[in-house]
Parts: sequence; C-alpha cells; structure tokens
Amino acid sequence: MFDRDTEGVRIELRSLTKHYPGQPAPAVDNVTLDIPAGELVVFVGPSGCGKTTTMKMINRLVEPTSGEIRIGGQDVLSLDPDQLRRHIGYAIQQVGLFPHQTIAQNIGLVPNLLGWTADRISARVDELLSLVNLEPSAFRDRYPRQLSGGQQQRVGVARALAADPPVMLMDEPFGATDPITREHLQNEFVKLQKQLRKTIIFVTHDFEEAIKLGDRIAVLREGSHIAQYDTPAAILADPADDYVANFIGQDATLKRLALMRVSEVPATESPAGPGLPQVSADASLREALDTMIAHGADRCSTPAGVLTYAALCEAVGTRSGEQEDVVSSDR
Amino acid sequence: MTADTLAVGRSRKLGRTFGARHLFTPVAICAVLLALYAWVGTLELDSIEQRSLNRAVIVTKAVEHIQMTVAATTLVVIIAIPLGIAASRSRNRLITPIILTVGNLGQAVPSIGLLVLATFLMGVGFQTALVGLVAYAVLPVLRNTMVGVQQVDPALIEAARGMGMTRGQILRRVELKLAVPAILAGLRTALVLTVGVATLGAFVAAGGFGELIVNGLKLNRMPVTIVGGVLTACIAFFIDWLGGLAEDLLKPRGM
Repeated sequence: MFDRDTEGVRIELRSLTKHYPGQPAPAVDNVTLDIPAGELVVFVGPSGCGKTTTMKMINRLVEPTSGEIRIGGQDVLSLDPDQLRRHIGYAIQQVGLFPHQTIAQNIGLVPNLLGWTADRISARVDELLSLVNLEPSAFRDRYPRQLSGGQQQRVGVARALAADPPVMLMDEPFGATDPITREHLQNEFVKLQKQLRKTIIFVTHDFEEAIKLGDRIAVLREGSHIAQYDTPAAILADPADDYVANFIGQDATLKRLALMRVSEVPATESPAGPGLPQVSADASLREALDTMIAHGADRCSTPAGVLTYAALCEAVGTRSGEQEDVVSSDR
Repeated sequence: MTADTLAVGRSRKLGRTFGARHLFTPVAICAVLLALYAWVGTLELDSIEQRSLNRAVIVTKAVEHIQMTVAATTLVVIIAIPLGIAASRSRNRLITPIILTVGNLGQAVPSIGLLVLATFLMGVGFQTALVGLVAYAVLPVLRNTMVGVQQVDPALIEAARGMGMTRGQILRRVELKLAVPAILAGLRTALVLTVGVATLGAFVAAGGFGELIVNGLKLNRMPVTIVGGVLTACIAFFIDWLGGLAEDLLKPRGM
C-alpha cells in the first residue's frame, strides 16, 4: 500500500482537526506535525488532551473533521479504511487478544486478512514469537488466558508487527503491566525498534517512558496543541514554556543524566586505583551518579578511566545558578 | 509449565464434571421411567385407560410432542438470533426497545389465549400450535443473543477494527463466537419452556403429551394424567441435559 518497503515511511499531519458534534471545543484543534521516516515519536500529555484521538485519526478509527494526513506521501483519507488499517500496526493498552483464538491465530490475524498462505503465516508467527522473546513451540498453541500480563503485551506487539507494516500506532501498549515488567518490555522494545526502524507513534502519559523510548517527543496540551516537539534531550535542556517544564517535573537534570551514557563523557584521568566504585561503559550517567552517592565518593572508575562529579555536571551543561532557574520557573 | 499444568487441570476437571453432572440426569430419567412403567403395570386399567396407555399411543404422542418442540425451536432460532443481533447494534438503538417489547409481549400474553386467537385465524392443527410456541420461546433466545453480543469486551472490538477487520468479519469471527455460550444458554431455556408449553397443543388438536393430560383430566382418569405429565417432564429434563452437553462442547476453547 505505502510502497513495498516495510521500513518506516514519513507521516505528515496537516491542520488536523476533530470536532465532536455538540461539544464546545474541538478535541483535536488544527494539528500540524511531521513524523520523519523510521522514528519513534511519543505523544505525551495529560488525560483528555486529545493525544489518543490524534493517533486514532491516522488509522481512521476516528474520522477527522478536517485536515490532511499523508503516510509515505499518500493521502490516507482517500483510502478504504479497512484496507488502510491492515497496513498500519496497532497495539493498545488492553492488548485486546481474542480469547477464543490461539496465540498463533491472534498473531496471524492481519496476514490472514491480507490473504497470505497458511505456510507463510505460520512461519511469520514463529518468527515474531522469537522476536518478542517467546518460545514459539511453547506459546503458539496456547490461549491468551494462559499467558501472564507481560506475555500478553508481547503478543500484542507481535500481532501489531505481523504483516510488517511500515507504520505502527501504539496506545500505551505497556500501560497495564507492573513497573518491573514494564521496564523490561520497554528495554526490549527499544532494542527491537533499533532493528526494525518502523515509523512509530507512541501515546503515553508517562514522561519517563517518553524519554526512554522516543526519538522525538511531542508534548501536547488541551486540544492536542503541540506545546513542544523536539528530541528528549532538547526538551529536558530547554523546555519551551512553564507547561512543558511542569510536565517534565522537578528532576529534569536527573532525567537528562539518564539519557546519557558513561561512554559519551570523556574520562578525565588515567585508570585509577582499586578503591573507586566501578561503573560500566553503557551505564547511564544517572546510574554513575547513584553509584557515587552510594559510596560517598565524588568520582568513580569507568573502563576508559575515571569519571568525576565535575565532569558529570559539565556533561549536562550545569553552571552554578542555571539549575536554580529551571526549578524556580516551574513554580 | 504453569500453562501446561493449567491445561491438564482443565481437561481433568471437564472429565470429572462429565462423570458427575452429565451422567446424573440420564440415570435419573431412566429411573423415573422405570418406576412409572412398574407403577402402571400394577394398576388394573379399564378400557378408557387402556385406550390411552398403550405403546402405540404413547409413541405417537411422544413423536408429536418432540416434533412440535423441534419445529418451534428451529423457527425460534431463525427468528430470534438475527433479531437479537439487530437489537445489539448501536446503530439500531431506536428499534431495540421495539424488538424487546415484541419479545416480551410474546412471553407476557398467556399462551392459551394466543392459541385461541391463532385458531380463529388459522384453524386448529400443528401450525397453530407452533405460533403459540414460537411467540413464547423467542424472548430468551433474543435477549441472550443481544446481551451475549453486547457484553463482548469493547477493547476486543477496538483491536479488531484497528487491525482492519470489516464489521461483518468482527461480527462473525469475534462477537458471535464469543456470544455462543450466552446464545446456547438462551436456547436451552427456550427448549425447556417449549416442551412445557407444547402440552397446550392438545387444545388445538396438535397432539403431544398434552392430550394424555387433558383426556385424563376430562375423563377423571388419574393414571393417564400422571403418565402424560411425567413423560413431559422427562422430555424436558432430557432436552435440558442435551443443552448442557451442547454448551460444554460448543463453547469456544480458551474461555
């Protein structure tokens, strides 16, 4: 539908508006946004800000009142909605696996709608189960009820990926799991996306999740107005206004530390003695800081040398006074 | 591992319930029929009683009774399931109350009165009896179909739509499949009701065990009435048992 290429394609939203009849204000008001090919863009905002509605207009579960949507240059509103949806991956918070179908039937649903042969579907199901770290022989013939919440979410992601769509829409797909499982699923998903390079729109109200997963974040306010649209690092370093700063919360600098790896900061001294606490090269700076505080030290040793507290501050661009401003501008 | 144990546990449980629950009813029915046979055997039957209580008559009445039940239920399935689906659609919101009212009326109007009215229009016979039976049994199937379809988790419908299933595909592959247990339960209720109400067929010359009951009462021959009543009850229990089996066998796996 949008090219044979299953890697991500560009999504363009132009003056997209949804006005439900009988309501004073539009739910989504004149949104214009470009989502570059192969990027994961997170829509983040409070409940009821219209982020889900905006996302659902892209696969036309919600029909826009006015505006234009292009996927890979093609006008979405001119396509048959059912056909369109078969070429867009869709994962939701409640997962929505069909309880009367096996895991294999659930995952094979869209390929089945697209008329793939049984052999091709079955091979694809096994491939996808392996991709989301579920042993195909053990899970293929089970029913959703026999899976844990985290396993069901994985199947939900596998099902969305089934026909290898270039575009995926995900509405809090990890929302219904406990924090430990969620973190685990997020980490796996980051790895998966590095491999797949789909264009993904990911809706969440959890800013931490947005930072962790997003190539870019669109912070939305009431009516789906875009408060800021930028990379996580840029939003954390320079929130556009009070609303965004509020949304980030008090610990913007700590969150920025979490985005940076130890290996990205030049080691300041030659390899140090055995007394210093150790951190690995791909640990985040936040973890390095945590290690320092835990050991009451102002430095820790990395594979490349020694990381000092001062170097860490420099890495996030802290100068005395500036941090104070960021915090006070919240109030 | 957990799921394997779970699956084994389920099938074992199914086996056990089959043993206890599903064998009790046929055994009890056989016992009652034997007791009835033995009891009638001890009686001195006069000529009137003999005319009713002999093999040929009882077999004929049983066949008539079951024919009436099966024909009425088939019609009920044809009428009530599509109506129930129609009533469950949100775009039919306006006609749903009308459909339900008609279904309710069918059950609220006394069957005997309805049969009398139908007799004026159609004369007596099998078809007239069917009108009364169908009117009476539509409601449980209609309502259960509607509720069964409506209670499907909206998240499933949203997921189905989001994956590009058409409305027809969602109805056939998701909503109706998941409504099967509810529809079967309604059908089972309807069947049992029909067996009971089919005794009224005697008043419009449609036959069935109702004739034994009515004749027994009119001619003051208690054994004839009792045989008619007990046999009707046995059919009702037997059909309920079949319905229970069908529910267990046809309900979607994985639920």
